[in-house]
Amino acid sequence: MTTSTNYYSLVASLPYMPRWFDVDEVPISRIRLEQRLKMLGERDKSVVEQVQGFLHWDRQESERTDEDVQREYTRLMNSIANRLVRDIINHRMDIRTVTCALRRRRLSLEPPSAVGQYVSHIQKNWQHPDFRLAREHTWIPRVSKHLESNQPLDVERELLTATWNRWVKLADNFHFSFETILLYLARWEIVDRWTRLDAAPGRQRFDRLLAQTLESDGDVA
Amino acid sequence: METFVILSLGWAGIFLPTALGAIGSIVGCARAGQAASGALLDVEGGYGRLVGASALPSSQTIYGIVVTMQLNRVVTIEASPGLFAVGLLVGLALIFSAILQGSCCASAINTTKSKPEVFGLAIAPAAIVEGFAVFAFIFAMIVGGGIPGGPAN
Repeated sequence: MTTSTNYYSLVASLPYMPRWFDVDEVPISRIRLEQRLKMLGERDKSVVEQVQGFLHWDRQESERTDEDVQREYTRLMNSIANRLVRDIINHRMDIRTVTCALRRRRLSLEPPSAVGQYVSHIQKNWQHPDFRLAREHTWIPRVSKHLESNQPLDVERELLTATWNRWVKLADNFHFSFETILLYLARWEIVDRWTRLDAAPGRQRFDRLLAQTLESDGDVA
Repeated sequence: METFVILSLGWAGIFLPTALGAIGSIVGCARAGQAASGALLDVEGGYGRLVGASALPSSQTIYGIVVTMQLNRVVTIEASPGLFAVGLLVGLALIFSAILQGSCCASAINTTKSKPEVFGLAIAPAAIVEGFAVFAFIFAMIVGGGIPGGPAN
């Protein structure tokens, strides 16, 4: 492993990332992607590991309490300096928080206490249909509607679309840089997540999460 | 001392087009070449086209050599300011065009590997950048002809 990364070689070695995540398979297998990432320099490698660790944590099925999420969020924010990585984490956490709030309100529970910039805003606007966040997050009304109609796959699609669009927009600003690689990984993760989903397991997961929430007295973030 | 500085700038002006053009070509070809090497991992054919595209920024060194030959003459107090001004400015044009042409080539290589049929269009921005280097080169030749002293034998 070298100390610096040759971004031109690494970026050019990665297959084209489709403009939309709704495809049949990932553009590059996980094994091959890991092989390509061996071209990373030491410093970049550690940042990429942080991002991959977070994305892995983010996609795990949750039995976490608000305190667990807050602890993980604080740990990440204390250990990560890269602005784009912080942005990736903050964006995902915001989506988790808003989605969690929608689910809790539907179950007549209290607003979430973790995590990120919208916690107090949601508490203040708890009765508003979109928590007065629809201008920044246009997906909220659609997700709310899909939640009401028990459409877990549509909920997942909306949430992934919101994240995907943000990464695509950001990726257009970078060409042969570390940010290009981070955004490639973030989008790869979404494609991988989507290609592993189908309607039946999605519904089972939704039902399981709902049951967990009810059993744990609404302490799930 | 003043004469020494002026003459030194004159000598620098003669060699600057070659030096700056070569630096630009080094960086430009390196960027495009690295992209070509990376792309080789992801394509099944058309290797020659990818590697060939990475050599485009080398032309700036040739332009620099030709301008240096045109400016090469007996360096005098009268000729030095002109030599330095023309040499430096055309050198800057060559270095920037070579570096940025390298980036254009890298992008073209990255695009071509997943969509080979657009190679011609993808390489067009690099050709346009080359055009500006040619403008700088031609006018350096014209202006250089008017500098006192004339080309050295």
